[in-house]
Amino acid sequence: MNNINVVLNGKPVVGIEGESILDLAKRFGYEIPTLCHDPRLEPFSSCFVCVVHVEKMRGMQPSCSTKIAEGMVIDTESEEVQKSRKSALDLLLSNHYADCVAPCKMTCPAGVDVQGYISLIEKGLYSEAIGLIKQTNPLPAICGRVCVRPCEVACRRNLLDENTGVGIDYLKRFAADKDLESSDHYKPNVAPSTGKKIAIIGGGPGGLSAAYFLQQKGHQCDIYEAAPAPGGWLRYGIPEYRLPNDLIDSEIETITELGVNIFCNVKLGENLSYKDLRDTYDATVITIGSQKGTLVGVEGDDAENVFSGIDFLRNMEITKQVYDFKGKTVAVVGGGNTAMDCCRTSIRCGADKVYVIYRRTEKEMPANPIEIHESKLEGVEYLFLTNPTKVNKDENGRLKSVTCVTMELGEPDASGRRRPVPKEGSEHDIELDFLLAAIGQKTDATFIDDINEFAKNGSFKLNKWGDVDANPNTFETGIPGVFSAGDCVSGPATVIEAIYQARIASQSCHQYLTGQPIVNEHFEFISKRDHFKEQKKDDYLPLFKKQLREEMPVLDADKRMNFVEVELGYSNAEVAKHETGRCLECGCAAYYTCDLKKYATEYKAEQKHYSGDFKEYHVDFSHPFIEIDNNKCILCGRCIRICREVVGANALGFVNRGFDTYVAPSMGQSLTETSCESCGMCISTCPTAAISENKFFKPGPVQTETFTTTCSYCSVGCTLEYHHVKGFLTGVEGAGGLINKDGNICRMPRFGYSLFNNQERITKPILKKDGKFVEISLPEALDLIQSKITSVQPDENVFFAGARLTNEELYLVQKFARTAAGTNNVTSFHYLERGKGYHFNTTDNVPFEQIGGAKRIILFGSEINRENAVAGFMVQQAKHKKGALLEVITTNEEHRTAHKADKVTRISSYHAFIQAVNHYLISNNKQNMLYINDRTSGFADYSSKLLKTNYHTLLEKAGVSQIALEEFANNFNDVHESVLIYSEKHIDAYTASEIAALGMITGKSGKTSAGIIALKESANSQGVIDMGICPKTGPGSVSLNNAEYIQRLQQQWNINALPEIKDYSLVEQMKNYRIKNLFIFGEDPVGCAVDQKETEDMLFNSGFVCVQDVFMTPTAKAADLVLPMNLPFEEGGSYTNTQKFIQSFEKKIQAGTTSSNIGILNGLMKTFGLKTYQEYADVNDEIIAVLPQKKSKPEFIFTSEDRHLRRFNHGCDGIRQMYCQFFNSAFQK
Amino acid sequence: MGKIKILVGYASCGIAAGAGKVYETLLDIRNNEHADFELKKTGCIGMCFREPLIEVIDESGAYLYGGVDEARTMEIYTKHVKLDEPVKEYLVKTDLFETGDENFFRRQIKIALRNCGVIDPEQIAEYIETGGYSAIGKILIENLSQEQVIQMVMDSGLRGRGGGGFSTGLKWRFAYNSPGKDKYVICNADEGDPGAFMDRSLLEGDPHAVIEGMIIGAYCIGANEGVIYCRAEYPLAIKRLNIAIEQAREKGFLGKNIFGKENFHFDMYVKEGAGAFVCGEETALIASIEGERGMPRRRPPFPAVSGLYKKPTNINNVETWANVPWIISNGPEKYAQYGTEKSKGTKVFALAGKINNGGLVEVPMGITIKDIIFELGGGIQGGKQFKAVQLGGPSGGCIPSYLSNTIVDYDSVNATGAIMGSGGMVVMDETTCMVDMAKFFLDFTQKESCGKCTFCRIGTKRMLEILVRITEGKGKEEDIAVLEELSQKIKDNSLCGLGQTAPNPVLTTLKYFRDEYIAHIVEKRCPAKVCKPLLTYTVIPEKCTGCTVCAKNCPTNCISGARKEIHFIDQEACIKCGMCFTKCKFDAIHIE
Repeated sequence: MNNINVVLNGKPVVGIEGESILDLAKRFGYEIPTLCHDPRLEPFSSCFVCVVHVEKMRGMQPSCSTKIAEGMVIDTESEEVQKSRKSALDLLLSNHYADCVAPCKMTCPAGVDVQGYISLIEKGLYSEAIGLIKQTNPLPAICGRVCVRPCEVACRRNLLDENTGVGIDYLKRFAADKDLESSDHYKPNVAPSTGKKIAIIGGGPGGLSAAYFLQQKGHQCDIYEAAPAPGGWLRYGIPEYRLPNDLIDSEIETITELGVNIFCNVKLGENLSYKDLRDTYDATVITIGSQKGTLVGVEGDDAENVFSGIDFLRNMEITKQVYDFKGKTVAVVGGGNTAMDCCRTSIRCGADKVYVIYRRTEKEMPANPIEIHESKLEGVEYLFLTNPTKVNKDENGRLKSVTCVTMELGEPDASGRRRPVPKEGSEHDIELDFLLAAIGQKTDATFIDDINEFAKNGSFKLNKWGDVDANPNTFETGIPGVFSAGDCVSGPATVIEAIYQARIASQSCHQYLTGQPIVNEHFEFISKRDHFKEQKKDDYLPLFKKQLREEMPVLDADKRMNFVEVELGYSNAEVAKHETGRCLECGCAAYYTCDLKKYATEYKAEQKHYSGDFKEYHVDFSHPFIEIDNNKCILCGRCIRICREVVGANALGFVNRGFDTYVAPSMGQSLTETSCESCGMCISTCPTAAISENKFFKPGPVQTETFTTTCSYCSVGCTLEYHHVKGFLTGVEGAGGLINKDGNICRMPRFGYSLFNNQERITKPILKKDGKFVEISLPEALDLIQSKITSVQPDENVFFAGARLTNEELYLVQKFARTAAGTNNVTSFHYLERGKGYHFNTTDNVPFEQIGGAKRIILFGSEINRENAVAGFMVQQAKHKKGALLEVITTNEEHRTAHKADKVTRISSYHAFIQAVNHYLISNNKQNMLYINDRTSGFADYSSKLLKTNYHTLLEKAGVSQIALEEFANNFNDVHESVLIYSEKHIDAYTASEIAALGMITGKSGKTSAGIIALKESANSQGVIDMGICPKTGPGSVSLNNAEYIQRLQQQWNINALPEIKDYSLVEQMKNYRIKNLFIFGEDPVGCAVDQKETEDMLFNSGFVCVQDVFMTPTAKAADLVLPMNLPFEEGGSYTNTQKFIQSFEKKIQAGTTSSNIGILNGLMKTFGLKTYQEYADVNDEIIAVLPQKKSKPEFIFTSEDRHLRRFNHGCDGIRQMYCQFFNSAFQK
Repeated sequence: MGKIKILVGYASCGIAAGAGKVYETLLDIRNNEHADFELKKTGCIGMCFREPLIEVIDESGAYLYGGVDEARTMEIYTKHVKLDEPVKEYLVKTDLFETGDENFFRRQIKIALRNCGVIDPEQIAEYIETGGYSAIGKILIENLSQEQVIQMVMDSGLRGRGGGGFSTGLKWRFAYNSPGKDKYVICNADEGDPGAFMDRSLLEGDPHAVIEGMIIGAYCIGANEGVIYCRAEYPLAIKRLNIAIEQAREKGFLGKNIFGKENFHFDMYVKEGAGAFVCGEETALIASIEGERGMPRRRPPFPAVSGLYKKPTNINNVETWANVPWIISNGPEKYAQYGTEKSKGTKVFALAGKINNGGLVEVPMGITIKDIIFELGGGIQGGKQFKAVQLGGPSGGCIPSYLSNTIVDYDSVNATGAIMGSGGMVVMDETTCMVDMAKFFLDFTQKESCGKCTFCRIGTKRMLEILVRITEGKGKEEDIAVLEELSQKIKDNSLCGLGQTAPNPVLTTLKYFRDEYIAHIVEKRCPAKVCKPLLTYTVIPEKCTGCTVCAKNCPTNCISGARKEIHFIDQEACIKCGMCFTKCKFDAIHIE
C-alpha cells in the first residue's frame, strides 16, 4: 500500500492507496453524509448526497466511489458542496410521500409524543408511558381529564368509518392513574443543585410546569400562589365532577417531591414585593393566568345575581359553599368549556332550569362535544342563535330577565366561523334568577407598579390586550431574568398551551441562569403526507379494520346531583390495550434512526422546494417480518445490493425507469414468493424505513435502551445489540463483534427476540401434584432433588445439559453429577450417542475471517444460509468480491443453498464420498506426508484400514462417477485455498472423522484460507463437549481414563475418587428401566424429538423427571419438577462458538424469575455440602485449573460406515424449536 | 452486351416505403418473362426521401430511380431494360445527365457507407469483392504488430463516432495496455436517439465492415471474444449481422487461428438489447450484456481496465468500427486528408425533420451545417424559414439558424452548446416551438433515465414539469431561473452521460430562444403556434362562407352558426384540437 498525498479542506494529509474520499475524510474527522453507501457494499453512487468538490474535476464527485489520487485537492465542506447536498435532499424529499411524525403529536401544542406513549401503554409499561409524556407535559392525570384534545381531532382514525379519533386522552388518563397509584411511580432525574433559585408567581398549570422543568435542571424553584391552594384554574375554575381536587393534589405532589416549594396565599404586589424576589432569587417566572372574568357587556349587567362564570366557579371552591339554585332558573352565556362547567355546575346546585345562551349553533361551539353531550344528559337546555342585548333588573336592582335577539349566520369571519347577525324584530325576554357570563377572561397584573419600581435594566409591560408583553419565541419579558408564560401572556387559552409556554420559558430561564444565549431555535425536518395532498378516507379505509372506540364509562345521569367525578376511567388494562389497537401508527418507525431525516435536518432541506408529481404506493405487508413501504424509498438500492452481494438471494430489484423506478421483490408479487431468505439484511441497510421490520407489537417509535450480548441461537457466535424498554425487547441489530465484524446478523436473532417477551415464562419452581403444577419454594425443590438423588443408586441418576447453557452452567452440571450424585451419567440429548467424531472436528478449522481468501468453497451438505447464515454471508462475499467458486455437494434433492452454487454435485453417501476421496488420494500417493508425519498421529493404521476397502464399492455407495470424484479430490488437493464447510446437522460423527482425515491427508488443516470448517448446531455445542457433558470425557474433552487428569480433577474437586466409567448405552439404560431420576437442564427432548413416541417412552420410564427451562416446553409440561431458568443475557457467562472462540457476556437485564441459574446450581451444591460459587468468574477460574495444559496431536480415525443417529432437531434446544415454529407459522397466516 | 444488374434498396427505410413489392415485381418479371437480368437487394442508398429506390446498371452506367412502385417498376423494365431507354422522369441519379438531385451526392465522401447501397449485405462474397477482409488479411499476413496497427488508427485521427469523440487509437491503446488474459471488444449498436438511423442503416447495408473492424480491434487489444450489442427493434440488422457472422466464421475470419495466425482466436455474437436508451452508455451496456439491469456505474474504473465480466474491454460504436478496415486498407494518411485539424475523416448524418431531402449522408468533417441542410438536404420543406437544427439528439442541443455557418467538427459543435452526437440531425423550421421541442427531448430522457441518480431521476422530472407548465400557459417568471439552476445541478451530479447531458436541449434553447420562453411565460403566447393551450381559434368573418364543415368536424360541437352564415367558436368549450383549421377550405380559421 502506497501513501497518497492529498489536500483535504486546505490541509495536506496522507491517504492510503485505494481509499475513497469518504473514508479518507472520515479518518480525518470530516463527516460526509451519505444515503446510498454502506461499508458492507460496493460503492454505488446514486444519492449524490456525499458529493465533494475536487479541483480540476468536472461537476461534483460522489465521495463514496471516488478514489483518492496523488495531488488531489478536495473540499468536503464548501458552500457549493453544501448547496449541492441540500438540493439532492430537496429532490429526494419532493418524492417522499411519508410522515415522520403522526398528526396527533404534530397538533399537540406541547408536542407530546402520543404515538410513543400509546405504544408503551399497549405493552403495559405505564410508568414508562408517563415518563415519556412528562418530557413535555408534567400533568398527564390532569390533562387526561380536562385537555381540549386537539390531538384527537387530528387523529387519522377519524377518517375511518367510526368517525372518532383514538381515545388518546382516556389512554393518557389510564396510564397516569396507574402510575399515580403505583408504589413506584415515575420520577424524573433531578440534576445536582446549581445553587440558583427561581421564584415562580402563580401555581396554575404554567407555574407548576415551569417548576417541574426547572427543578430538574438543579435550580431551586419556589412557587408563590395567591390562592389558598395551588392549581390555579384547575382547582378554581374546573369543577370537581370533572377534575377532583385530590387528584390535583396527587399530581402536584409529583412536582413538589422533586424539591419544589409552594407558598400559598402570597400575592405579588400585595403581600410580596418584587424587591424581595429580586434580592432572593436569580430569576422569576410569572405564570399568573388570566383571572378576571368579564361580564355580558350589555346594559344592566351590573344587576345582582349576574356573575362572571369563573367567579361563580371560583367562589364555590374558595368558600367550599355550594350555591343554592333550588327552584331557580339559570342562564349561562357562552359556548366554551367554562360555559359547560357553569351550566353543569348549576344543575348540581339544584337549579330547576339551566339554559345555555349561545349566539351561533352547536356546530360552532368551542366546547368539547363530550361536555355538550353530558350536559344535555344532565338536563341543560340550549338556546342557540340567541344573544343577550340587555339585562333587565327588578326594582331592587336584582336580575329579572334578559332580553335576547335571535341571530342568523352570515358570512364567515376571521376565525372561519360564520358570523352571527341579529334578526330584526326578534327581541324576546327570558325570565331568569341567575345569569352567568362565560364569555372571556382578562389578565389582572396588579403587581405591575411594584415590579417596575424595583426592576433593573428594564421594565415590565402589558400589550394592547392587557396581557403580559413577552417575547413569543422565548417568553422573556422586558426585565432580564423575568419570564412569563401561560394565559397571562396569550390571553385565556388551554392548559396544554400553558404547559408548552412554561416549558419554553423554562428553557429560556435555564439558558439565562447558565449564561447561555437565550434562543429557541430548533430546526427539525419533518416529512408530511399533507405536504403532498390532503389525507382522505379512501387512503386509509381499505388498510385498517373497523374498530369502535372504547367509550369512557360515566356515572349514571341520575346519580350526578353531586360533585363526584363523572368520568370513571377505563376499567382495566385490556380495555386500554384494545383502544391502543385503534392507533394507525402514522408516525414513522424510523423517526429516531432515519438517515434521510437526520441529513434533511442537518442541511435544512425543504420538502416543498421542488414540489411536483409524487409516487404513492401501497405498503406491502405480505411478508410476515419484512414490510416494504415504497413511499419512503429513496432508491439507494442498498437493499437490492445487500441481498445480492452479501446474502446472495437476489430477491429484490428495480422496476421501471426514470421517475417511475421503484424497488420490488423479483418477479413475483410478494417477497414470500421469491428466493428471499427472510434474513432481514435489507432492513439492516435501509437508510429510511422503506424496508423495515413488520413488528408484532406497536413499535412507537420510542427511544430505547440497548445492550450487547452474544447470540444464543447458533454456533457462529454473533454479537447482538438488543433494544429494549424496561426489559421489553423491541428489536435486535448486529453489533459488529469478534465474529460478525461488519454487524451482520441472520433471521434467528433478528426476528427471534420477540419470543423472549413471552409473558408465560417459568418464574418459580413448580411441582406436579395430582397431575397439576403447584408452586413450591426453591429450598423445597432443592430438598426434593436431594432426596430423589440419594434414595437411589448413583448410576440410577442421569443428568442432561443443553447447548444453550453457558460454559459455567455446563461445567457445574457435570461437576454436580460427578461429585454430588456420584455418576458419570452426564450427557446432552443434543449429542446423545452421536460419537467421538464431533469431539475434535473443530480443531484447526479455517477461521471465519479467512473465508474471504478462499478460491474454492465446498458446501458439503451444509445449508449454510439457513442454519448459520452469517457464516453463509461470508461465503457469499468471498464469491461476490473475490470470485471464489462455490460448489455444493449434497445427498439432498432440494438443497436450499444449491441455487447459489456454481456447481452442484448430488451424491448418495457423504461417508462413502469422503472415504473414496481419501482412498484415491492415498492410493495415488497424493497425501502430504510431511504434514502427516509432523502434525498428526494414527495415519499408518488409518491408511491400512482404508486401503483394504474397495474403492469402486465406495464410489458406488457415494453415488458418484470416478471422474467426478477424482476431479473433486484433485481440485481440493491442488487449489491451495480450498475450504470445505459442513454442518453437524447433516453430517454424522463418523463422516466428520473422515473429513478431519481429509484435512490432514491434504495437509490443509491449520493453513490460511484452506481446510475444513465444521459448523455445530447450537450456541454452545462446543461448550457441551469442552465442559465434559459426556459420560467418558471431562472438562477439556479429556478422557476420564487419563490418570494424570483424574488426579487433577480429584484435587480440584476435593474428592477421593471419580465415579467409575460405565460402558453401557444410556439410551439402553433408560429404555430398560435402569434410570430412576432424570435431570434435564435446558433441553427439550420431547419438543425436538425426531421420533416423539420413542423419546417419550425413553424419558418417562424413569420415576422422576426434573426440567429446568425458560418456557413450559413440552418436556417441562411432562416433567414432575420444573425449575425456572434465566435467558443468557439475564444471567451472564460465556459461550464457545464453533470456532472455539470463547465469548463472555454479562447480565444485562433483570429476569422476572425468582432465582438465578447459578443460584440454583449453587443451591444444589450446597444441599450436598459442596463448594459454592459467588459469581461466574469463580467458576471460570476452576475450569481453567482443570483443563489440560498441552494440546495432543490430531488423530486419524477410521470408521467403517456412516452412523446417522440424529434423534433431535434444533440441537434439542426448546427455544430454537419454538423459534422455528414461530417463524414457519408466521408464513402460514 | 453484359448482363443488366438491378439493385433494390432493401434497408428498413426502403422496405417501409414499399421495396418489398418492387422487389417481388422484379422477381415476377424475371420469372414470367424469362428476362435476363441480375436482381439483388442492397442496403440503404441514403436517399430516404426518394424510397423505394432501384438502380439499373447497364453497360452505359448506373441509373438510380427513385419513388418507384409496381407500375413504375414495370415501366422502367419495359423501357429501360427491354428497350434501353432510361425513364428520365423517375431518375434521381445518373452519370449521363443532371437530374436535379445531384446536390445530395456531390459533397458526400463515402467511407463508412462505402458499401451501403452497393453490395448485397447478405453475400460475403460481394464484401470481399470490394476489398473486404483485406484489411485484417493485410495485418495478419504482413505480420503488423498490435502497436503498429494501433498507431495507424492513432494516425488516422479517428475519433469515437458514437458522440464522445474520444481518440479511437488511444482507447485501444488503453485496453491493449491493460493486463489480463481475457479481453473483450464490443460494438455499441444501441442507437437510441429519436430521429437517428445511421447505425441501423450501416448494419443493414454493410455488416461485414463492422465485423472486420471488430476483428482488427480484437487483434490490437488482444481480445478473443466480441459482442455486438444491438437493440432488438432492429430485427433486419440483427438478421443480417447473424448471417454475416456465420459467413465470416465459415470463411475462417472468425474462430481459431484466423488467417492462419497462431493463437489469434476471435469470435463474436449479437446480444439483443431491450431498447433502453441508457444502455448506449458503456457501463450500462456492459451491465446489460452481463444480464443485469442496464444501469451505469461510476468510472473509473473504465471498461478498458475493468469492463465486461470485469475484464479489459474496448467499446466502439458501429460507425467507428466500420471506418477501421478502410483506414487500414487505404492508409491513415488518406483518411486524415479529410476533415479539420482536430476532427479527421468523415461523419455520417441522418437528416430528419423539416428538411426536403431526409436521409443518410456521409460528409467530410469541416463542412458547414448550412451546406448540409441546404445543399445536401435541399433546404426546408414547403419553403418555410429555417429556424434551428438539433444535433446529438436528446443529449445534444440546438444550433440556431444564425449559427448555421458552424462547421462540423467536435470542437466547433461543442462550442455552440450542442454536441456532435452520433449523427442525428433534426431540422426545425418556423413552425417548431423551441420550448415544446425541449420538452419533447426532456420527456424522452426523463423516461429513459435508469432511475439511479437522484438528480437525473427526480431533477429531470421537475424540469419537465416546469416545461409542461410553461407550454400550458402556467409558467412563472422564476421558472427560467429554476430550469437553469436544476440544469447545472443535474449536469454536475449525474454518474453517466445521460444525466450529464439531459439538460442540454433546455440549456441551448434557453440560450438561443429565450424570448420564446418569455413569450410563453409572460405573454402566455406560443410564437410558433404549437402549444395548444396557448392558442385561440377564431373564425375570420370575411372569409367564412358558412359551409358548416368546421362545425361538423368539431369534436366538442363548440362551433355554432347556420348554413351560409358566419360561424362562431365558443372559446370556453374549445379544446384546441385544430380540427377546424385543418378542415376549413377557405382559410377562415385564425390561430393566435
